[in-house]
Amino acid sequence: MTNTVTTLTPAVTAQSPWAVETHGLTKKFGGRTAVNGVDLLVPRGCAFGYLGPNGAGKTTLIRVLLGLTHADAGTMRLLGHDVPAQRDIALARVGAIVDEPRFHQHLTGRQNLEILAAAREPAATQRIDGALDRVGILHRDNDRVSKYSMGMRQRLGVAACLLGDPHLLILDEPMNGLDPGGMVDMREMITSLVAEGRTVVLSSHLLDEIERTCDAVAIVDQGRIIRQGPITELLAGSSLEVEIECDAPERALFLLTSGPLGAKASVIDDHLLVTLAADTSRDAVAEINRILVTGDVAVYRLQENHASLEKWFLEVTSRLGDQQ
Amino acid sequence: MTSSPIPITPENSSARVLSEFPVDHRGSPVPTLAMIRTRVMELRKRRGLTIALVVVNIGIPAIFLAVRLIIHVVDPKSYGPAGGYGIFTNLVTGVMFIFGFIVAATLGCTAGSVDLSEGVFRHLVVTGRSRLALYFARIPAGLTILVPIVAVGFATVCAVCVLAAPTQLHFDGAVVPQGLSEGGLVSWAKANPQEVICNFNYRGPINVPVRCGPNGPVAINPQTGPPASTAVSTSQLATLAAAIAVQDYSSYHQTFLKPPYSLMAQSLLWLELETAIGFIVGLGLASLMGQRTVPVVLMIILEIVLTPLFATVNIPHLIDLQRAIVGVATVHVEPLGLPSAFSGHGNGGPTLVPESTSTAIVVIVGWLVVWTGLGAWRMARRDV
Repeated sequence: MTNTVTTLTPAVTAQSPWAVETHGLTKKFGGRTAVNGVDLLVPRGCAFGYLGPNGAGKTTLIRVLLGLTHADAGTMRLLGHDVPAQRDIALARVGAIVDEPRFHQHLTGRQNLEILAAAREPAATQRIDGALDRVGILHRDNDRVSKYSMGMRQRLGVAACLLGDPHLLILDEPMNGLDPGGMVDMREMITSLVAEGRTVVLSSHLLDEIERTCDAVAIVDQGRIIRQGPITELLAGSSLEVEIECDAPERALFLLTSGPLGAKASVIDDHLLVTLAADTSRDAVAEINRILVTGDVAVYRLQENHASLEKWFLEVTSRLGDQQ
Repeated sequence: MTSSPIPITPENSSARVLSEFPVDHRGSPVPTLAMIRTRVMELRKRRGLTIALVVVNIGIPAIFLAVRLIIHVVDPKSYGPAGGYGIFTNLVTGVMFIFGFIVAATLGCTAGSVDLSEGVFRHLVVTGRSRLALYFARIPAGLTILVPIVAVGFATVCAVCVLAAPTQLHFDGAVVPQGLSEGGLVSWAKANPQEVICNFNYRGPINVPVRCGPNGPVAINPQTGPPASTAVSTSQLATLAAAIAVQDYSSYHQTFLKPPYSLMAQSLLWLELETAIGFIVGLGLASLMGQRTVPVVLMIILEIVLTPLFATVNIPHLIDLQRAIVGVATVHVEPLGLPSAFSGHGNGGPTLVPESTSTAIVVIVGWLVVWTGLGAWRMARRDV
């Protein structure tokens, strides 16, 4: 994908510092609550991950935000505009893919974009070439969408989002159907969009992608947001793991758990996995090595595992499971 | 569960000033020309549907007339001219009216449902454009496609029916001068009594003791009926011929060598009205139901089954319901000079359910408004 075309004209718009702001947002389907009192704050100009397992209510929240379905309770603002009261104004500068991007199969990619551009301001039609170029399918613009691969449709969906020169992009599972190269391209494009000052909300269940792409996340489960914040700060509260490969894992386990270090440890596949408290200093790793060596354990490898969003997510959700 | 232990503040991000919001009244229910134009493109590019529209409205009448032209050229004694008034009326009421409605309804059902079924309506709603505008854009778009196709098909029929019209007027099997007044027809009948008595239809009891026998007009016994052997006087023949001519004048008056221009103009408007009704009702129904197949089937049932039934069968206590069927109302605003689309020329055919023109107009407008309203309401409220 190339970084060209869409430029943002500098001017003051809505005054709210938040791209997305919801308070007590609730959506029910019959007796099931899909979105349960969500308070979400997405700051402008960042890549924001909206993370949760399948069925957690991610897409439903997006649909409510975009006016595709109505909320049962709560308030929301997009780019500083009350929704649904000022929905038409707010959405003028929002681009979104909800679920998979779908288009008229019998039309070309360009013709589909012409239909969508016609629903926006007149300038949107002039952005078609740039949007197609930016997502890397300008050379296939006159092919019918029925001949597009899933990845190309994803790219076309992003191109559709760019027609409105958006301040806010809401991308629901944008990596679906992309090959590894396409995922890299998508990641780079999201980064470039954020660099231009746009806000990108990325809904996904792919923790690794969120961690690589986003500055901040909200974790959602069963319709509720259970954590939200910058990734670095969220991960700062995670425990430290040290993976050890040695000749006598059982003996090493005894030495570490019975000693003054007070570490939690377990043997997994002939490896020793030691878990230390989040605020443990790195000197503890050297202390582990010293204890093992003085205890006649031959250490082959000692690796500090940095906390990942995936581990943190599992940790948080398992803790929630324990509480329930 | 806990929520938001770590606040995210704008200072944590790279928030900055961005472009202005456009002022384009996209909350208005009025669609823009660009929306209509692209909607026309979307519908026109559906090849199967476009081909069906062209075939039914242009192809079938054109092929029928072409075949008639060819066989008339090859064997003019056995096959009459390709055009003429009768062919015109049969094509307009028998083919273009009914099948034009069905393909127009199919186009309407397509326009009303494909954005939903193909997942594009969601993209359109996300633009912030009024859902009503998105819906209303389909009406002029569909009519932009339908009206010219119907006009071209109708122009083809008119051209052949006028240019290849017969040179002699055949009325009830006799060759009769065209355009006579009632007095003129009576005079002609008196001068050609045998033609009239042995060819024209008797449309009521005639108290003249003469009938057409196997070998021409003969006198009959007024009491017993069987033919008498007495010769028939010239004055008796003229009297009978004049009486039959008076009876048949109203029918003769509506028989032409070729369709009059006023009738052609009225027929075009009537066909366009029928097409527009089919499209708009189909659009509303499909938008209401969110799918295409079932509404198309319902529209076909309405046109092929329900409308002929309700138009011609007088059902006790349901007469007002029958009048409220749009197809029945449309037949009642049919141009004079065309045979009824569902009851034929009236010669032994079923009689139409009575309905005033004003009632018919109210019914037609009501259907257009109600179905448009229902479709728009559903599209505005629908979860997508």
